[in-house]
Amino acid sequence: MNNQQQRVVVIKLLDALKKNGSWCGETHIQKAVFFLKAIKKVPVDFNFILYKHGPFSFDLRDHLPLMRLDGLIDMVINPIPYGPSLKVTDRGEKFLKQCPKTVKKYKDKVNFIARFVGSKKVAELERLGTALYITLKEDIKDIRKRARLINKKKSHISVEEATFAVKSIDDLLNSHLTREENNHANIETA
Amino acid sequence: MKNIHEIRDPIHVFIKYDSDERRVINSRPLQRLRHIHQLALTFLLYPGATHRRFEHSLGVMELSDRIFQILTHDDNLKDQTKKQFPELSQKDYWRRVLRMAALCHDIGHLPFSHAAEKELLPEGWTHEKLTRDIILSQEMKEIWEDVTPPLRAIDIAKLAIGPDKAPDLDFTNWETVLSEIIVGDAFGADRIDYLLRDSHHLGVAYGKFDHYRLIDTMRILPASKLGEDDESEEQFLGIKKGGLQSAEALSLARYFMYSQVYLHSVRRIYDIHLRDFLTEWLDNGKFSTDIERHLSITDSEVTSSLRKAAKYSSKIGHEFANRIMNRKHFKVLYERNPADYDINTEAASLIKKSAEEKFGKNRIRLDSYAQKSGFINFPVLQRDGIFASGVSMSSILAQLPAVAIDYLFVDSDIIKEAKKWLHKNKRDIIKPYGEEE
Repeated sequence: MNNQQQRVVVIKLLDALKKNGSWCGETHIQKAVFFLKAIKKVPVDFNFILYKHGPFSFDLRDHLPLMRLDGLIDMVINPIPYGPSLKVTDRGEKFLKQCPKTVKKYKDKVNFIARFVGSKKVAELERLGTALYITLKEDIKDIRKRARLINKKKSHISVEEATFAVKSIDDLLNSHLTREENNHANIETA
Repeated sequence: MKNIHEIRDPIHVFIKYDSDERRVINSRPLQRLRHIHQLALTFLLYPGATHRRFEHSLGVMELSDRIFQILTHDDNLKDQTKKQFPELSQKDYWRRVLRMAALCHDIGHLPFSHAAEKELLPEGWTHEKLTRDIILSQEMKEIWEDVTPPLRAIDIAKLAIGPDKAPDLDFTNWETVLSEIIVGDAFGADRIDYLLRDSHHLGVAYGKFDHYRLIDTMRILPASKLGEDDESEEQFLGIKKGGLQSAEALSLARYFMYSQVYLHSVRRIYDIHLRDFLTEWLDNGKFSTDIERHLSITDSEVTSSLRKAAKYSSKIGHEFANRIMNRKHFKVLYERNPADYDINTEAASLIKKSAEEKFGKNRIRLDSYAQKSGFINFPVLQRDGIFASGVSMSSILAQLPAVAIDYLFVDSDIIKEAKKWLHKNKRDIIKPYGEEE
């Protein structure tokens, strides 16, 4: 996927998240792109590690301000104490229209993830994202073991919360991936 | 015997260190940094830019320690923070690890620092990976093991390079916070020191800001109201409201230093000519990642070869050495601008392609670079005890753009001709983005 296609995916995702009720803060975008890559295998060139609020991509972090600089997205400043959110600009909309093939190719996958992520809050996304990351990275079937590992890595997530998140992720993977897809579900972490 | 030593420094006046740290300072990897310029060939534009990575490393140790002392002072810790970080019970151990990591954070740098590292190291290698390997080397392990209590080399390595550059290592939340003290985006000691030190040596005022006030107001805070709609209890580096103007000043300093110094077009073209020279001069066009060989090569060896190669046309790398030593660098033909980027954000690449077809690849260089680290945001503790997003509280932080460059350089012999050509053809070259099949 080239840089322009990647920009199309991010803009389309931002647009779809907004339509699904998301706050569209940077954390929401980070987690949504992670889900898009990990579950729907959209080949964005952003590597994720476990960092702030769960899976986090430094590549994506560096990518967003450049999209803002090029006028494709903008930052919306919200009243104190809330922080900024992101929105697609008119130029971003125009850019999408120049790329109908890429939009068509990824539209359904983007919409699926936006529906899943859109209504969720940061703390919930942190738990689910971390659960997905651990589930795909570690070869551990036992739910409680995975939950304990999450609690070890992110001590502010209790074992009970982690267990619930792991179960939710297992349900998500089982319902939306075929067996073959599931066997190959993997994420690049380095 | 004296256990505390001190050294004079133009930025921090006196930097103190103990005898264990002196062993590290006297080690080969640290002493090598006396011969690595902090800002590569920038001294060709700003003659004062002859300072080295060595004194910067001492400065980062000093600042990291000051930040650590403020963050972990009992009066500044909330119960929630103490609960989340049981490592606070081993404060002395982690302070020593942090100081050593700060001291060593740059020991993997290649000659002339950042210049073209990506092209000049084998695939998958970075200076941070070299830093890590040196910290974990037998030579350095002997020092870590002699400290009382012994320090774990891997702890030092993690803090020195941070999770971004060590994706294969697991970081605890505590290690993440400590690495932020050194290499963090918002107010890491590395950033504070290089801005202050570079501006001091270059003679530009842009990089100065009130770092005393900033450090004094730093706290470990929950990122709970980092701008979004619910709370996570994860904790990060933040500041008290009283430090917000200092944080703004740091961000502005960084913006100005990038715009005026780090991304100056002449500085950038010298880096490119140096890369071109090194590609010819090095075995297989790459620096070695073997630690012994890494430690044996500094700016001094490269400079000596550059001077010889510039003088004798038979020497390898003569053309680019001559351009550097005799100031015959390429000139800017084109740089990014909003009007062209409104049509196509790949405008510079399109012009490069056409220019290469017209004038030949050897006479064209494209330099694209964007300031890293995204939107700078951090939690701010207000007087009423409520946390807020730094970006919401500061319109300066909210509006500050990233600095990005696209410079297209051409051989100075053809600059006039190339400018005429571009003026005539630009409209035909920059077309709206179209999807490839």
